[in-house]
Amino acid sequence: MTLAVDVTARRGAFEVRAAFEAEAGRTVALLGPNGSGKSTLVSTIAGLVPPVEGTIALDDAVLDDPANDVHVQPERRPIGVVFQDLLLFPHLSAIENAAFPLRARGVPKPEARQRASELLARLGLANRAGAHPRDLSGGEAQRVALARALIVEPALLLLDEPLSALDVGARMRVRELIRDELAGFPGVRIIVTHDPVEASILAERLVLLEDGRVSQTGTPEEIRAAPRSRYAADLVGMNAFRGILEPLEVGAGLLVTDEGDIVAPWPDGFEGGEAIGLLRPSDVTLSLDLPDGSARNVVQGRVTSISVEGDRARVRIASAPPLVAEVTLASVERLGLRDGVVTWASFKAVEVEILPA
Amino acid sequence: MATDSRRSPSTASSPLRRGRIPAGFVVLAALGVALVALPLLGLVLRTPWSRIADVLTSETALAALRLSLIVATTAAAISFVLGFPLAWVLVRSTFPGKTLVRAIVVLPLVMPPVVAGVGLLAAFGRRSGLIGSWLYEWFGIQLTFTTAAAVLAATFVSFPLTVLALEAGLRGLDERLEDAAATLGASRWYVLRRVTVPLLGPQIAAALVLSWARALGEFGATITFAGNLQGRTQTLPLAVFEQLQTDTDAAFAVSMLLIFLAFAVILGLRGRFLR
Amino acid sequence: MLLLAACSDSNDNGGTTGASGGTGGAEAELTVSAASSLTEAFGEIGEAFEAASPGTTMTFNFGPSDGLAGQINEGAPVDVFASASPTWMDSVQDEGPGVTDRADFAQNRLAIIVPADNLAGIENLDDLTEDHVQLVLAAEGVPAGDYAREIFQNAGISTAALANVVSNEEDVKAVITKVMSGEADAGIGYITDVTLDVAEQVTLIPIPEEVNVIATYPIAVVNGSQEADLAQGFVEYVLGDGQQTLAEYGFLPPP
Repeated sequence: MTLAVDVTARRGAFEVRAAFEAEAGRTVALLGPNGSGKSTLVSTIAGLVPPVEGTIALDDAVLDDPANDVHVQPERRPIGVVFQDLLLFPHLSAIENAAFPLRARGVPKPEARQRASELLARLGLANRAGAHPRDLSGGEAQRVALARALIVEPALLLLDEPLSALDVGARMRVRELIRDELAGFPGVRIIVTHDPVEASILAERLVLLEDGRVSQTGTPEEIRAAPRSRYAADLVGMNAFRGILEPLEVGAGLLVTDEGDIVAPWPDGFEGGEAIGLLRPSDVTLSLDLPDGSARNVVQGRVTSISVEGDRARVRIASAPPLVAEVTLASVERLGLRDGVVTWASFKAVEVEILPA
Repeated sequence: MATDSRRSPSTASSPLRRGRIPAGFVVLAALGVALVALPLLGLVLRTPWSRIADVLTSETALAALRLSLIVATTAAAISFVLGFPLAWVLVRSTFPGKTLVRAIVVLPLVMPPVVAGVGLLAAFGRRSGLIGSWLYEWFGIQLTFTTAAAVLAATFVSFPLTVLALEAGLRGLDERLEDAAATLGASRWYVLRRVTVPLLGPQIAAALVLSWARALGEFGATITFAGNLQGRTQTLPLAVFEQLQTDTDAAFAVSMLLIFLAFAVILGLRGRFLR
Repeated sequence: MLLLAACSDSNDNGGTTGASGGTGGAEAELTVSAASSLTEAFGEIGEAFEAASPGTTMTFNFGPSDGLAGQINEGAPVDVFASASPTWMDSVQDEGPGVTDRADFAQNRLAIIVPADNLAGIENLDDLTEDHVQLVLAAEGVPAGDYAREIFQNAGISTAALANVVSNEEDVKAVITKVMSGEADAGIGYITDVTLDVAEQVTLIPIPEEVNVIATYPIAVVNGSQEADLAQGFVEYVLGDGQQTLAEYGFLPPP
């Protein structure tokens, strides 16, 4: 079963243009910063906001095709949605919330309650079935919302920012729960989030959404290996510079940014203009004295933060432009790097990857 | 809902808050209460409590009571059946002239009741009424001097209260809950029945109570349009008025009855106002 | 109907006899409660009295005599009371502050009043007993209402006629209004109620003398009046120069 989305959706003045596919069995994460259009897409896929043009189809069943006047109402779509604000019905108890989709489809009350009760028990809420949303903790409420979406065994499951409202402790627990539930869910699964860690853990494929456009799709590893946008680079912790690439010499250009200039290779066929430069932190060399190697980019600045990850450290330097360097802990020790220490940073031009903006 | 700990229901204001009411406010508030309480107190003291059983079991009082209950309840029901869809349309749709429609609907609130009665005659009178004359000539239906006229008059004056209360309720409703219900498979009718109306419970109760109370107390439009006849159009306020001319004691007694009725309804529904 | 503030003045002024007619110069206000059937006639008389007594302002309360009596008994500051029946003057005398200089100043007769087009075809009292006739009376206690019921009793048609009553109005003017609009088929009012203003919209059907009632109108100064002299002057005016005005409006002279 595959969900094929190829739409332009509009909400107010904001427009989203997205084309991607999601297969059953491989969770897709729509990943993007706030304001990138994720929620609009969710509303469109759910059927609440008809697209301006394009199509949405689940295998052969066309859900939206404005050109041919096709728009299947949300209540007729085989979907289950967990909303960002959960939107649990405040006047119903947990079990009544979970049973709601069944009751709405005419399932008799005893059977609906039975199934809801079982599902809540499976999610660890057996003894909270009678509680009302206002008496539930964040994590409990999240699970009720999940139960409510799952109970009709929909073909398509949409989770909109499922963890964003939870505190750290609840987040980890609920994330594990969602991962387990998703693993056992046979239909199409789409998660919407702004958190790349969440996306990487819960999804097998990422669709990056920026400013209403899809900028890249792929597995987390593929994106990590070859980010194609500033956002993707930021996500995976790369240095990203945005500026105008001007010719410097044969085969090389100067990327002029607001925060500083860097020498970078001139991509084949590039005509100049706006460009993004990507640089891996591990390609940045730090030293206490002015380096005199072949590196074309040499800058100096104060260390503003050092964060340790395993046996490596990410060092932020307030140079022009600002840089993130990744070095071994041993190097940190050897160089005596601490907040406030002035250090030199250098990297070769050829280590910078230029992408047209 | 940002933390994992159980949220506690809202508590009374903190001790720091409680002491902070300005003295001037207390004085003004007390004056406000006095303004309303004094006439009530006067009524209670002037009521001939020894005679009250006799008066209230008299044919006049019983007929007026029965009629008032029927008229007020019917008026509140009609107001609701017509007012709910209207409130919905006013809140959830736009159309040219919406502001005007809203102004017209609220007009009976500020209209002197006798003027409302004259208006009702102009519309529904059998002789010169816009619709009324047509009804009379073609179907022999006359509205004036009937209980239906009393209901019509009461509905006219209580309708705006229903619409305003329901409008406020609908505006405060989170429409996204209805969206969520749709994605969960609920048809529009099911959403209305099981989500919208239950969530509007307190506002619906308020609308019904307000319009019922207003309908109960309606006088000017009733006496002008429906007339005054025991058992047919003489509601409690009309009975009080008539008795005021001849038997003031009885008038006070029936007035107390009206007040008890109103109190009973307001207090009885108090639980619904606070969820 | 004006409901004046109930400030009871327990000054029992025994009747004062003072100068008759207009007091000269001083600013004075005179409040007169009069039966609604006297509205037009007393309006004119009031203007004449003001002209004759410079500095005097007349304020009239017109309404049903029973209601007016009730207000006076509750302490309304009224100087003169003119009632459409002796009953309510008695009430003020016996249960209220009491009166002085009481005198009958006019009489009136009742009649059937129907809309000008008389679609119900009412021609006499018996017609009022027909099915589907919509009859409007003044309420019991209002003199016009009591008189109407007395007339029905005299004619022996009480049951049938009263069965046709669709509304009991607060005073006789309201009866005329309902008939004028055509909403009612007929009403019982005073012959004086068919004034020039309404003559084109209603028709008067006389009631046979044998069963008709003669309404006697008493007038008096209310005890406790702050303008007792002026009040007495007004009473005397009504009994004197005012008689012609009353006759012009259709009232009969006092017995």
